[in-house]
Amino acid sequence: QALPARSGPSSILVSPRQKGNPILNSVRSVAWEYSDIPADYVLGATTCALFLSLKYHRLHPEYIYNRIRDLRGQYNLRILLTMVDIDNHEESLRELSKTSLINNVTIMLCWSAQEAGRYLELYKTYEHAAPTSIRAHQSTSYSDKLVEFITVPRSINKTDAVGLVTNFGSIRTAINASPEEVALIAGWGEKKVQRWCNTVREPFRVKK
Amino acid sequence: MPSDEKALVKLSLPLEFQQDIFKELREEDELVILARGLGLLRVVTNLLHSYDAVGNNLILLLGADERENVWIGEALAEHVAISMAPKARGLSLVNTDVMSVGTREKMYVQGGIFSITSRILIVDFLSGLLNPETVTGMVVLHAERVFATSLEAFILRIYRQKNKAGFLKAFSDSPEPFTTGFSPLANMMKNLFLQKPALYPRFHVTVAKSLEGRKKAEVIELEVPMTDSMREIQNAVLECVEVSISELKKGNAGLEMDDWTLDSALHKNFDTIVRRQLDPVWHRTSFRTRQIVRDLSLLRTILQALLTYDAVTFNRYLDTVLAASQPPPGSNKQNQSPWLFLDAAHTIFDTAKRRVYAGKITNADLNANPNTVSDLLHPTLEEFPKWALLAEILEEIERDVYFNPTLQDGSNGSILIMCGDQGTCRQLREYLQTMHVRTEENNEDDKEVERAPSASFMMRRKLRNYLAWKRDFSRVSASLFSENQKTINGMADHRGAQGANKGRPPPNKRRRVRGGGNAASGPTRGANGIIHNAGDRDAHIASLMAELQPTETEAMQKGEIGADPLDDMEDYYELLDMSELIVVHPYEGDMDEHILEEVKPRYVIMYEPDAAFIRRIEVYRSSHSDRNIKVYFMYYGGSVEEQRYLSAVRREKDAFTKLIRERGNMAITLTSATLDPQESFLRTVNTRIAGGGRLAATAQPPRVVVDVREFRSSLPSLLHARGIVVVPCMLTVGDYVLTPNICIERKSVRDLISSFANGRLFNQVESMMEYYKSLMLLIEFDATKSFTLEPFADLSAAAGLGANTVPDLQAKLVMLTIAFPRLRIIWSSSPYQTAEIFSELKKQQEEPDPVRAVNIGLEAGEDVEGRTFNQVPQDMLRAVPGINEKNLVRLTLEVRSMFDLANMEEEEISALIGKEAGRQVFKFFNRSVYDHVAI
Repeated sequence: QALPARSGPSSILVSPRQKGNPILNSVRSVAWEYSDIPADYVLGATTCALFLSLKYHRLHPEYIYNRIRDLRGQYNLRILLTMVDIDNHEESLRELSKTSLINNVTIMLCWSAQEAGRYLELYKTYEHAAPTSIRAHQSTSYSDKLVEFITVPRSINKTDAVGLVTNFGSIRTAINASPEEVALIAGWGEKKVQRWCNTVREPFRVKK
Repeated sequence: MPSDEKALVKLSLPLEFQQDIFKELREEDELVILARGLGLLRVVTNLLHSYDAVGNNLILLLGADERENVWIGEALAEHVAISMAPKARGLSLVNTDVMSVGTREKMYVQGGIFSITSRILIVDFLSGLLNPETVTGMVVLHAERVFATSLEAFILRIYRQKNKAGFLKAFSDSPEPFTTGFSPLANMMKNLFLQKPALYPRFHVTVAKSLEGRKKAEVIELEVPMTDSMREIQNAVLECVEVSISELKKGNAGLEMDDWTLDSALHKNFDTIVRRQLDPVWHRTSFRTRQIVRDLSLLRTILQALLTYDAVTFNRYLDTVLAASQPPPGSNKQNQSPWLFLDAAHTIFDTAKRRVYAGKITNADLNANPNTVSDLLHPTLEEFPKWALLAEILEEIERDVYFNPTLQDGSNGSILIMCGDQGTCRQLREYLQTMHVRTEENNEDDKEVERAPSASFMMRRKLRNYLAWKRDFSRVSASLFSENQKTINGMADHRGAQGANKGRPPPNKRRRVRGGGNAASGPTRGANGIIHNAGDRDAHIASLMAELQPTETEAMQKGEIGADPLDDMEDYYELLDMSELIVVHPYEGDMDEHILEEVKPRYVIMYEPDAAFIRRIEVYRSSHSDRNIKVYFMYYGGSVEEQRYLSAVRREKDAFTKLIRERGNMAITLTSATLDPQESFLRTVNTRIAGGGRLAATAQPPRVVVDVREFRSSLPSLLHARGIVVVPCMLTVGDYVLTPNICIERKSVRDLISSFANGRLFNQVESMMEYYKSLMLLIEFDATKSFTLEPFADLSAAAGLGANTVPDLQAKLVMLTIAFPRLRIIWSSSPYQTAEIFSELKKQQEEPDPVRAVNIGLEAGEDVEGRTFNQVPQDMLRAVPGINEKNLVRLTLEVRSMFDLANMEEEEISALIGKEAGRQVFKFFNRSVYDHVAI
């Protein structure tokens, strides 16, 4: 439909139904405006969101299904922004999980109005962003990489990492070092030595 | 047991209580909780042997760690040799690295005693490779680790469901875990499917009688005072701990923190206590809180290091600590650990340095007349008081042996020195070898000086090594740190530009801090200590080096001590007579028993206190009535070491008392065996469906295909408990396949964070997208943790959505859903909830096909087993620059291990993953940190 395309790209469209919802107070860094839309919020050309409070859902379980039906299959990504404001949420969430599969909605849980507002902002801001930061490792400085590399096996900490490279000079020599040599470094107990030496020698592939 | 079989079995249980336990265990199934050091493994091996000797059986040993496997294996072989049982086969190990499915199947058919990793056993049980009905019995070690949702409990449940006749014995030698929670013992018994607990604390009547009845071991307790500087450091560290704790309290108001006191901070498991308390909210805590928790465990390590590392090594360790605590590059906040800003931290570093060398020096002096420097600076090289005492004891023993020559007994006059770890062992060995080497030239002084042993030779050598290392180290930290500094500068500049229009805090934060550091030199040493060090150390080192030139006698002393301690030991055994040996050994749990049996020492010196070892000596002494043993026991008075020892003893006693009380009024579950499957099915049939019988007659039992790696989590166990058939498979795509269309990737909150960070999740979802219609990401919270992602910090603070801010977890989730609109998210508050959601999702759906699920994601003709990877080395590889998900697979398929990769030439790597990536990888491994060259 023409509706989403018409909207200005910079603001979130809010349905007048949502007037008075406290989460609107938390949407600060992105502009928003009221508009006549079937969803509660339109967050991008193909993204919309419905807001559901679990407290309300328990009283009116049929409400959300009517709203989803009203969307009539529009929008590619349909968020069900669910506020967890009751304690015994298990049953409702179980039901909603099933619903999300059948009705093609994606559930996002939030626990406060601020968090809900932040989700709305995030969806708008990242509308056109490429998912680079979750796609691969974010590269940093050499020393950071080095520490990160060495601290992958459990229980080896940053101090140990610094001790290791300063003692051996480079990562290659540290990897080639025998357990006895590594054990001489202050702070490297038997367990750490074992873990380090085993991990670097362990084959990548599990052999039969 | 028929009498002819009895004749075959020879036991090695000399003490009455051990025999009692054995007899009880032969008669019925029970859980034995024995105090530490009373020879649990000995009972276990005797029991195993008694079954082994009979032959024709299949006994599974569960929960044994590597060391115990070796111990039990050796002991069983020994038993077989002694009692010459023809049918006994000893112990076989089953772990993945060695055996394929085929070999395992063959071995199970043959029978015998198997020690199996739980993860393999559960898969074999579920996949039908091993039929639980054929198992003769199971022996569970470390029963304290069997909690309701654990794999072991899952295994026992399957075993008990299918096999009601086989025996089941459980053992534990740590009573403490049994006392936390609500009626813990009863719960544990339920998990173990056992009815009877047998408790054997040290104060049990039979135990006390068998250990104290005959002549007791002679124990001499020696309290050693710490030196002033040691005490000073200890107090300073404790002060830091105290401040860190109060900081922690401040940052996490609303948590139960009564236990977070300085007193409890001395305990070995203080940081675990803090972690346990914070764990429920861990994913919500602030960066600062996490940092302080890390600091606390670091401080505890320092506390430990103070008593075990010699002065030089300790100082060196502190140097590393300081370098590692430099603020991370690009940190826009002051991310220093708070304790580094304290006066006490200054005291720690300063005193530690003064224990090594003293003297005042300023750079001005140095430049003026470099010749006088060596007079100002001199090594102090404080020695541990325990060393002198050790030498004294050895001398006393020598005298003792001289005056009371050979007692006619079974022990052979050797001396056993027990200490905490290999490092201390090495230190003591070196000390003992060199303590009579004089460093001064004027040897022919009066006799008294001559005879006093000292560690000065060793310490001087250590100092020389240290200085050599220090020279490299200052260069390394300079190069690493300068890099950080550059980034910080860049960051600051950048932020400066940004700050102008946003009105943020002062742009050049770093400079401000350094300014403060100069004004108040003391407390901020931590912030910029390295810069100072790098500046003045070269001069220091040169002067110290000059002073430390080896003297003639020192030069004469040869030897590469500490290079390969085990080889040294071998030499010892060959060259020397057993009776004149001094053996230095670390405490190693149950292995110590072997040491005592092998060495048969007349004298034992316990360099550090260890409650379990004292009992082992008692057991040893009572088991051999013909051997005399004299024990010296030393500890630093008023130190953490003493406190820790006392509280360990007390806690064990308290735990046993509690357990005995609980056993007194414990409710026993008599029908622990589960309902028979038919009945349980009928119970679940919904009677509201008219003619529900139709369902029952035709429906297959619900089925879920589960990746074998997922058996580390408790979910498969819970699914099984709900009556769902769990099919373990090697899956390439997804973790759980519920229906032919639904595929699920499970992530705990911690996994979620880490797999976002290294990009794995993106790739996993991408590949699920390719093969399944409905893909779901299951975010599973821990049942004991709070069900929310929201951090404690004020959200409004993080609201600034500049491109510069690092995206948090919420932002990453948003990106993921935008990238994959078809991905559904299941939020589950606990594994129990997940199991319910799964069965909800499976309702009225077709069952998944395991064969198809396995083949998905494999290239044609590829074997499943060839595609399974070890997780940890792979994660390491992900951290290497230049590695992305594509060449990662290529590398792991072509290269054997990290070790091989690190030693490859640049051309070889480039041939595999391309020129640019190859260059990066090669450079990462081969770049020397001593160089200043920027990357």
